[in-house]
Amino acid sequence: MSVLTHHPQPFTTRTGGAGARELVLSSAMSQVVWRGDELGSHVVDTVPSGWPALDQELPGSGWPRRSVTEVLTAQPSVLEWRILSPGLKPIVDEGGQLVVIGPPRHPHLPGLLHMGLSDKQFIWIQADSPAERLWTTEQLIKSNSAGAIISWLPKVRPEQLRRLQVCAQSCEAPVFLCRPESAQYESSAAPLRVHASASQDWELNVHILKRKGPSHEQTLVLNSVPGGLASILTPRLRRPSALTPIEVPHAVGRPIVVPRTERASA
Amino acid sequence: MLWVALLLSPEQNAPQLNEELRGLSLYALQYSPRTAITENAVVVELEASIRLFGGKRNLRDRIVAEVEALGVEQVAWSSTSLAALAFARAGKENGIRGSLTALLDPLPMETLNAVEPHLTTLTQLGCRTLGDIRALPRDGVSRRFDKRLLVAMDQAYGLRPEAHVWIEVPEVFKAKLELMSRVESAPAMLFGARRLLLQMCGWLAARNAGTTAFRLRWLHDAMRSRDAGDCGEVTIRTAEPMRDVEHLCRLLAENLAKVELAAPAGDLELEALDVHPLEELSRSLLPDPVQAGESLTLVLERVAARLGPEKVLRPVLVEDHRPEWVSQWQPAPQTLPRKRARQNRFPQPSFMLPAPLRLSMRGNKPMYQGVLQLLAGPHRVEGGWWQRLAKDGVENTGNVARDYWVAQSPHCGVLWIFQERLAGDETAWYLHGAFA
Repeated sequence: MSVLTHHPQPFTTRTGGAGARELVLSSAMSQVVWRGDELGSHVVDTVPSGWPALDQELPGSGWPRRSVTEVLTAQPSVLEWRILSPGLKPIVDEGGQLVVIGPPRHPHLPGLLHMGLSDKQFIWIQADSPAERLWTTEQLIKSNSAGAIISWLPKVRPEQLRRLQVCAQSCEAPVFLCRPESAQYESSAAPLRVHASASQDWELNVHILKRKGPSHEQTLVLNSVPGGLASILTPRLRRPSALTPIEVPHAVGRPIVVPRTERASA
Repeated sequence: MLWVALLLSPEQNAPQLNEELRGLSLYALQYSPRTAITENAVVVELEASIRLFGGKRNLRDRIVAEVEALGVEQVAWSSTSLAALAFARAGKENGIRGSLTALLDPLPMETLNAVEPHLTTLTQLGCRTLGDIRALPRDGVSRRFDKRLLVAMDQAYGLRPEAHVWIEVPEVFKAKLELMSRVESAPAMLFGARRLLLQMCGWLAARNAGTTAFRLRWLHDAMRSRDAGDCGEVTIRTAEPMRDVEHLCRLLAENLAKVELAAPAGDLELEALDVHPLEELSRSLLPDPVQAGESLTLVLERVAARLGPEKVLRPVLVEDHRPEWVSQWQPAPQTLPRKRARQNRFPQPSFMLPAPLRLSMRGNKPMYQGVLQLLAGPHRVEGGWWQRLAKDGVENTGNVARDYWVAQSPHCGVLWIFQERLAGDETAWYLHGAFA
């Protein structure tokens, strides 16, 4: 109320041509009023994600520190480095250690070097059981000594996530939890949840499921060519979807049966 | 002068008491080199160490908190060592507030060891306290009793200098502890082991050193089964020289949790194996926020202690053209090679499969969650006949002849697959990595 007493006219009403009324707040007033369509302004401690388009949508314009971030994908180890590495690069350049907990496949450093990470600042912890993954992640979050933490948690319960989130409040490093897509229907204590998928033409489709602020309606499309492939891509290869042959069944001399072998199970 | 007396409980047999006194003196050496053993107590002169340990109050709180685990019955402070010992025997802690004479006078005279031979005579004279003895005429006392009594009285009251044989810091640390009762499970030994660790850390502090390896050995008691053996042991290694009791204790706890005792244990033995000089962090007025490297080492050590050292890995890049040999992994504490491998300028996947996965085919196209679309290639990788590998008793060479392709799968992104060349009928497509 003190603001109101100091400013007898806190806002003026401007009438537009079409009758639309827009509130113009005085500067002191606009600092204390939060509009429903703004992103949460109290997320201040962030690291840039490396994607300008994504930064615009993230509260505090970047991956948050002092909290956990969920990255949901349909399958593990398909696109994690592609979406995370632009944000990890500045951390690694500053000398931060990157700790990777329980990735489903072996990390391959030559490819990660192409993405700007460093082999001197990479630690791989092979934690297999869900309990080991959680314990290791919690220990690293509590120690607050890593530059960034990426943990694959295929099976984790909401209360365990809440515990990690509480621990992460004193952790300056961004903490990424890679989880399966099905987790989007479960509740989660993580303040930021991002769903990512890859599409054919070297694009990542990113949808923010949960953030501090209004809900994210449309899907972001980010151009990303992984692991040094950009140097060998011909213009034709930049649009692989155009290369997909349209299957015309050969009708001459054979019955029109597309051979159906069983799908690869692996 | 500020003396502290650490009094052990007297109800023990002589060899055990000597062992405990020795251990306690090793612990006390971290506070001051002026440490001596007097009768059944350890006395330490601390005047010069007060500032280093953050003032009298902090020093007192730290010592009182730590010595309880070492079996100390009473701690007492005074300005002479004999007075401190007398206060400890009388069960009083504080002998520094007020004048020494006024504080010492009401103590019972048995608290001074030199009184012991003349106890009967003095009692018959009507003496009860040290003050009573002091009130006796001095020349009469020196004639009637021996010289020791008068000297001890003068030393206790600070009228005559005291002479001590200081404890010397031994070159190696090896301490023994007899457990109060037989211990049947390994984690339960931690209580006794902590006592030994406290002694070891005191010894390390006195030598300005830290340990990178120590060994805890437990001796099985006499009523063991025949196949149990004499003793068991566990060796703990740390990445950096270390003398933090809490960290060493946590490491030991993680290791002991995995140990199963073959028979109940009766004695513990702790030995410092590798000792290196330790440079302490300077205690500056403005704390330095960048101390992350050290603490990451500690947490990785703790993780390695639970999961096993082969689970916490750092990459070592080797110059090899075969993808599975390029990244080697080694346990995190080991030092990385100084020389860096040259970077491969060709595209490389960011995830590799532990072993190539054979793909099924539809027609002549490989499939992995849908038909794969080959985008770029071939990238030919050949050679490796010089490397001999023995697997399951069959010796083989690491020779490969492969054409690598970048392929796109409709559901799982960009993959790195290869076709085996010159394999006769075995020619097939394999999935080897993912551009994740």
